[in-house]
Amino acid sequence: MDNRYKKRFEQLNIQNRKAVIPYSMLGFPNSQQSYEIIRQMIKSGVSALELGFAFSDPVADGPIIQNASYKTIASNFSVVNAFDLIADVRKIDEDIPIGVLVYFNTVLSQGIDKFFKKAKECGVDGVLIADLPPENSMEVQPAALKHGIDLIFLLSPLTATNRIKTILAHAGGFLYLVSRLGVTGITERNAIDDLSLTSLVKTVQEQTTLPICAGFGISNPNDVQAMLNIGVDGIITGSRLIEIVQNDNREMLEQLDEFFNDMLAVCAGHRTLPLLK
Amino acid sequence: MMNTGRYGQYGGIYVPETLMPALVQLEREFLKFKTDEENNFYYRELLANYAGRPTPIYYAANLSKNWGNSIYLKREDLVHGGAHKTNNAIGQALLAKVMGKTRIIAETGAGQHGVACAMAGALFGLKTEIYMGEIDILRQNMNVQRMELMGAKVHAVKTGSRTLKDAINEALRDWIKNVEHTHYLLGTAAGPHPFPSIVKFFQQVIGEEARAQVLLKNKILPDYVIACVGGGSNAIGMFSAFLDDRQVKLVGVEAGGEGLDSSKHGAVLNKGTVGCLHGMKSKVLQNEDGQIQEAHSISAGLDYPSVGPEHVYLQEIGRVEYTAITDKEAVQTYYELAQSEGIIPALESSHALAYAKHLCEQNKNISVLINLSGRGDKDLAEVEKYGQSL
Repeated sequence: MDNRYKKRFEQLNIQNRKAVIPYSMLGFPNSQQSYEIIRQMIKSGVSALELGFAFSDPVADGPIIQNASYKTIASNFSVVNAFDLIADVRKIDEDIPIGVLVYFNTVLSQGIDKFFKKAKECGVDGVLIADLPPENSMEVQPAALKHGIDLIFLLSPLTATNRIKTILAHAGGFLYLVSRLGVTGITERNAIDDLSLTSLVKTVQEQTTLPICAGFGISNPNDVQAMLNIGVDGIITGSRLIEIVQNDNREMLEQLDEFFNDMLAVCAGHRTLPLLK
Repeated sequence: MMNTGRYGQYGGIYVPETLMPALVQLEREFLKFKTDEENNFYYRELLANYAGRPTPIYYAANLSKNWGNSIYLKREDLVHGGAHKTNNAIGQALLAKVMGKTRIIAETGAGQHGVACAMAGALFGLKTEIYMGEIDILRQNMNVQRMELMGAKVHAVKTGSRTLKDAINEALRDWIKNVEHTHYLLGTAAGPHPFPSIVKFFQQVIGEEARAQVLLKNKILPDYVIACVGGGSNAIGMFSAFLDDRQVKLVGVEAGGEGLDSSKHGAVLNKGTVGCLHGMKSKVLQNEDGQIQEAHSISAGLDYPSVGPEHVYLQEIGRVEYTAITDKEAVQTYYELAQSEGIIPALESSHALAYAKHLCEQNKNISVLINLSGRGDKDLAEVEKYGQSL
């Protein structure tokens, strides 16, 4: 089977569009609603999915995703439940790239090979292990290769030029640019910091054909535009989505649809927003 | 990096990308620091005249009589600040200064590391912020006041188990955001490489002194060397000098809480399984999905669901034996030392003492060196509360 990420990014490229990749936590706020939320993403026409496994100690996450994790764990939603949910999602859409975001202990607890095997069976295309730097990726590389799964790696504003090569040597799917210092969450962006990412993006693009998608603190169309301005190929958005879900009202799915459409509109180049509010 | 800091398969670096450059820099600067004469001279000078080293070895005559064997205490309770934590805090604060950082952050459980960092922050003029679990703030309130008095800001951590584990999570999150100007002054021999090596380097003074002192006194080494193990910094500092003395039995004592068969303990080396937490591969208390379980101990400093990676390695190769002592036994020994020697031990150190007592009940003519890692004034309220609950 063709690589879904490769195919999807090629399509987007032809359509002159950038990728919108929403992040959702598997099993939050409960199994059924989690399924409906992800189905809504696909209905709204997002480019790929980033699905998170809840972990008790998510050090890269801010309060919104932390709380979603704690609630999901408290509801006894297990790793097995999470894989079952992914398999159900895969049945909705055969082509959409599905990435999962995990912390390394979740992978270790299942056994590395077993985790990747199960992921493949459920239709996962990429695995991003938030706390596994490329220096240690040999631990999972054989399993990823064996089961045909891309390893997604992070770039940060502090990634030095000499580390880019190490990261690229192991990376597949796309590169996840952590677009500001700090953990996940909704914060006002700093225009000067954003612009300073331009050279990193350019340096990386000179060395790879892998797309770069920016995440962390991307929660409205302005943020998206700021990221497109620095030359990335797509954006990832998570905390804002969980915030909408948390408000839990009857129109939650409609609100999500509106949210995705706003983000998609910027990425389709239909709207040009000023860089700053 | 020069290496990835492995002890067998344990240790390593498991952190988000944003922290990698800081760890690379830290390793580079630490390696330079280790061999830099000027900095080392300054560090030793501070240990001597600021922290009050060397700390004595004390032959506890009354306790020895009561327990029927020879008991020696390494008096880390006499270090300025009241615990061994100062050795590491001064060292790392100096390192932070050398690296040009202007702010230090730290986690703390019992509050001793927080106090040591507050001292070091004041001493070196570094802005200091401490993360401490809400539960620990309640049970170690005096230490919170001491930190604030010395100018540190204390953040109450309200997530997860609201103890040491979550204080480390919050400190890591702060570091991810402020990594350019901030040094994370980790207090125990755990976390991502190079922290376990750094903390060991600054704590090995305990073992170096103790070994020389006991030889000077007795001409022979003790039969047993015992230290309590939470994250494991005082233990690794003590054990490191004796690792090659194969005739010396080394024992690490974990928090047995309400018993190893209960779910309320912190005995990671006895009951944990291999996992990854706080940037390292080590043993952790976890369920089948890898969710980290809450630890429990009456002593906040041992209330941690993982442990420094070198201890797992030392256990695996059989060089150190790791055992556990319950809350109840620790409290009993807390009283016993206070009443027999007029020394109030930290509840953490009381675990090591309590195991020594067990040993003495089973053996004759042995000499036991115990690391009295800290003093127990901080634990008075907690011990009193425990007494009332019985």
